[in-house]
Amino acid sequence: MVSDENIQTAAYELPLPQELPADAEIKNSERTLPESLLVQNALWFCRVRWLVIATLVFYGIFGLFPRSIDYFGIRPPGAWPFVMAGVLILYNLAFLFLARTKTSWAGIIFNLWSQIIADLVVLTGVVYFVGSLETNIAFAYLFHIVLSCVFFSRRQSLIVTILAIGMFAGCITVEYVLKILPSMSIFTGSFHEQNTAPVRVILMVNFFFAIGIWLVVWYLASHLSLMVRRRDFELAETNRRLVAAQEERSRHMLATTHQLKAPFAAIYSNAQLLLQGYCGDIPDEALQVIQRITARSRRLTAEIQEMLQLANLSSTSQQSLPRTKIVSTELLLWCKSQVAPIAREHGIVFKTDIRPVAMIGVEDHFKMLFINLLSNAVRYSHRNGQVHISCYRGPNSEPIVTITDNGIGIPAEKLPRIFEEHYRTKESVQHNKESSGLGLAIVKHVAELYGIRIRVESRPGFGTKFELKFPASDETLGSDKKGETKWPIS
Amino acid sequence: MAYLLIVDDDEDFANTTATVLRKEGHDVQVELDTDDAVQSMENKPPDLAILDVMFPEDASAGFELARFMRHESEKLKDIPILMLTAINTKFPLGFGPKDIDDRWLPVTDFLEKPVDFDVLIDKVARLLHEGSTAD
Repeated sequence: MVSDENIQTAAYELPLPQELPADAEIKNSERTLPESLLVQNALWFCRVRWLVIATLVFYGIFGLFPRSIDYFGIRPPGAWPFVMAGVLILYNLAFLFLARTKTSWAGIIFNLWSQIIADLVVLTGVVYFVGSLETNIAFAYLFHIVLSCVFFSRRQSLIVTILAIGMFAGCITVEYVLKILPSMSIFTGSFHEQNTAPVRVILMVNFFFAIGIWLVVWYLASHLSLMVRRRDFELAETNRRLVAAQEERSRHMLATTHQLKAPFAAIYSNAQLLLQGYCGDIPDEALQVIQRITARSRRLTAEIQEMLQLANLSSTSQQSLPRTKIVSTELLLWCKSQVAPIAREHGIVFKTDIRPVAMIGVEDHFKMLFINLLSNAVRYSHRNGQVHISCYRGPNSEPIVTITDNGIGIPAEKLPRIFEEHYRTKESVQHNKESSGLGLAIVKHVAELYGIRIRVESRPGFGTKFELKFPASDETLGSDKKGETKWPIS
Repeated sequence: MAYLLIVDDDEDFANTTATVLRKEGHDVQVELDTDDAVQSMENKPPDLAILDVMFPEDASAGFELARFMRHESEKLKDIPILMLTAINTKFPLGFGPKDIDDRWLPVTDFLEKPVDFDVLIDKVARLLHEGSTAD
């Protein structure tokens, strides 16, 4: 026996649900893109670079024809376009190889940054040879500034902008201030040959204009990119919450129906004990009452079962169930056997014309689908009626299943509502009181899950035909030759 | 006559099932939670274990017990298991996907609650027969 002194008081405080702080959302939205997208971007950079390489090679070849370049007033470029193209080809191949090799997130970021820095260095070389201030080539830096605004965070894109400005300023300093390198231009009659004060002012103004425009473009592009990214993040977050809410709802529904079903199992068992004489003899009148209790519990359990099935179909966990190849003959004959006892009770005869066609899906889903349609066909048929099941391949090799009865039928104006949960037509209630109105809702959910097209044709008093057109898949197409025989199974 | 163990937290259901199986001539023991069930089976291994899935403290305790019997206990690994559950067995109810994997879930047979006594009696007889012929 445990003494009272050994029992210690324990405490627990219920934690409040954790809310995401507002600045965390902003931080998340400022994060760079996911890994897969970054790899795609790294590859895209490489693809675009081939165009630049082609342009440089084209310009180098064009420069080999003195007459043509003289006509346009252009100097012969010499070897530099080929040298630049060669450097670009070499590192483009290296970056392509790195981007295609499976690596870490840091590896991809390193790849992207290396590409940008290498590009900026090569671009500065091209800018120098083409004419840094005498042509508009310096605006080529804008490509990298805008792309970095799209792919990177605001801070990182500013670093790229400052790097571009630094390299451009370095080129100008070496060329015009320190005069370590001679001024270059692709044009024959260029400014640097007239080294006068007004020309120097024009060149200086050009330099500061270029840098000013880059900064403005960086500001606008990075601001817009941040807004789009925040919106993206908000949408993704809202979507995540919606999915979580839906899952929670399904889970709650499942738990509730289970909680309801378990006591009914106990009630049903106890009623059976009485009914089957385990507790001694019972007067006939009491026995009839117990029979009614048993029948009602059974019906309610079946309804709860249907609610469970419906909730299960709505839950996202269904996506993870393994899909297999199912042969129509086995499936439909098994479903028919499940409905056979009710059919016998109602004197209904089945006629079948089922060809073996392969379908892809979760077997239990298809069983639910056909058992519901077949039991409806039986329940809403007149006594001694007939239910016809056929299965064949459509013109596009898609499996088609039809279930036709000559029962009570459905009025035209009520057809669009029959797949709603708990909806039952007045005529169906008069014909069969024991139904939850969930059967066709289950059918609808399975159809939506697999993209099955359902067409219902009905004539009140004469019968109803359900036609189910399954989507054709590679597997079903493959089975066309192997599986289907010319002899129908009846 | 066989020795059967029913493990179910629903006392009403467990007792009615036990009544029916006792009438069939079996010796039936009822345990209301899985820890007691393990203790009971270690003391006296049953010829057949009838397990529920959901228990108040663990929604898949029945599955856990079945796995323990098959994979971790040398003494209990060959006992046939009949799983009784109020959920449709192939559909998850907040269990992991492994729980509904036939290969992973090592039970001999399933029966869905509510159970018709005739079906239960037949199934128990079949499982006991299969168990005895397997020996």
